[in-house]
Amino acid sequence: MRTLLGLGFLVLMAPCPLQILAAQERTTVGGYGEVHYTNRTGPKTPAVVNLARFVVYLAHSFDDRLAFRSELEVEDAKVEGGKPGGEVALEQAYLDYRLGDWITLRTGLVLAPIGIINETHEPPTFNGVERPGFDTDVIPTTWREIGVGAVGTIPGGSGLAYRVYLVNGLRADGLSAAEGIREGRQEGRQASFANPSFTGRVEWARPGVKIGGSFWYGGTADTNAAVGTGAFGAPVALVSADARYDSGPFALRAVVANISVSDAQAINAAYAQSVGSRIAGGYVEGAYNLLRLVAPASSQKLNAFLRHERYDTQASVPAGVTRDRALARRITTFGLAYKPTWNTAFKGDYQLLRNAAGVGELDVLSLGVGYQF
Amino acid sequence: MSIALGLLLLAAQSPAAPPAKVAASIARVFGAGARADTLRVDTVSVLRVSRADSLLGFAAIGNVLGKDQPITLLVAIGPVDRLKDVDILVYREPYGGEVAYEPWRRQFRGKTAGDSLRVGKEIRSISGATISVHAVTLGVRRMLAQLTAWHQSGAIR
Repeated sequence: MRTLLGLGFLVLMAPCPLQILAAQERTTVGGYGEVHYTNRTGPKTPAVVNLARFVVYLAHSFDDRLAFRSELEVEDAKVEGGKPGGEVALEQAYLDYRLGDWITLRTGLVLAPIGIINETHEPPTFNGVERPGFDTDVIPTTWREIGVGAVGTIPGGSGLAYRVYLVNGLRADGLSAAEGIREGRQEGRQASFANPSFTGRVEWARPGVKIGGSFWYGGTADTNAAVGTGAFGAPVALVSADARYDSGPFALRAVVANISVSDAQAINAAYAQSVGSRIAGGYVEGAYNLLRLVAPASSQKLNAFLRHERYDTQASVPAGVTRDRALARRITTFGLAYKPTWNTAFKGDYQLLRNAAGVGELDVLSLGVGYQF
Repeated sequence: MSIALGLLLLAAQSPAAPPAKVAASIARVFGAGARADTLRVDTVSVLRVSRADSLLGFAAIGNVLGKDQPITLLVAIGPVDRLKDVDILVYREPYGGEVAYEPWRRQFRGKTAGDSLRVGKEIRSISGATISVHAVTLGVRRMLAQLTAWHQSGAIR
């Protein structure tokens, strides 16, 4: 496994006392990645294979309380000037100072704690080769910004945990009709702190159950007075709820989100866009482990799943914008995921990409492998 | 898993966690007034828990590795080698602390070393805490097996 100290999976402390062990500085390496084969229907659309993500997790404990954690990602295998695709980016890089179970102070480049996929995005944790379209166009995964905050569990066995951050805000000049707030993210790259934003999450867990609620609130105007003035000029307000349920061979998950872009009209005027004033949608997904039927003793999994997404990045539009009904998307995905271990997955799925206008609809066959360790 | 590695798993009791936490855990699992004596097995400490003259059980403290931090847990068995309870004494990771919740830990109660303990089968997982769930389940399985083996061989009595 990933420890430099461990004997396999277990850190064995006898006969060395824990206090000595825990006080030692320790570096940990992990990672995840995924390779995709994508074949879209339609003329002149040959299949594409892509090393979509290769991510190295690197963490270091300075002492019992202070730890650094990071993820460095290479997308599309390589980056080359003048060629499309390809990205090298830090997905996370922060310091944690642990005061107790109930609070850890965190500062650095942090993941917005919104929905399911943004924080838990390792490929074996979700069904389907690609992340859900909702988790690209509505919740813009992997959404990370720089800030400070606190994470912890609420004591007393309540089953409640929270995360709250104050981070840099979105930028209105990146908002668009088709991808909503996605390109408004700043992702830690010389980000403007003109519009500090709040984001947070509360979740409740039981074995097999997790229910969460998340929010984001902050301005987007940056320094453009035509869009808005003050720290909370042209605010974006997001609320989201999610649920996961696992019982024996069954797994269900669902996410909904609503984003209001309060000054969409001003943003559209300033940047010649047609950003919706409301972006909304969600998905439900059910899965069944087929190995329960044919090999009930196996700890491997063969999940058959079906997911249905509905979302619209122009659920409402400001004056002066005609709704593009092709943005009201309906995506149905069904397929299989074979998991020889809990942290590896071989996936195949078929997607029906539909929209309310019936324009540009297509089907996609995807295959993929993913791992985490 | 070799015996040697298994032996190493059970840790010296006293330095593994704040003594007050260990004492509170023993009192919670075995009831107030339970007396804990430290036994040595090779280089490892095991707690023998009794009240008056009757044996209540044994407890051991060990560590498993979560994503990047050790998770310190206590595993307690009764006099006939049934798992009484599991306690997470110190959890240090930022995600996955749900393994300390009682509704998850109580899945282990009453299990014996001969019982299967697998995540997703006998032990339900928790979304977002998968790494910790697997680590703690593995640790419980091995510590339960080791305590049972020692008790049945007379190494602890």
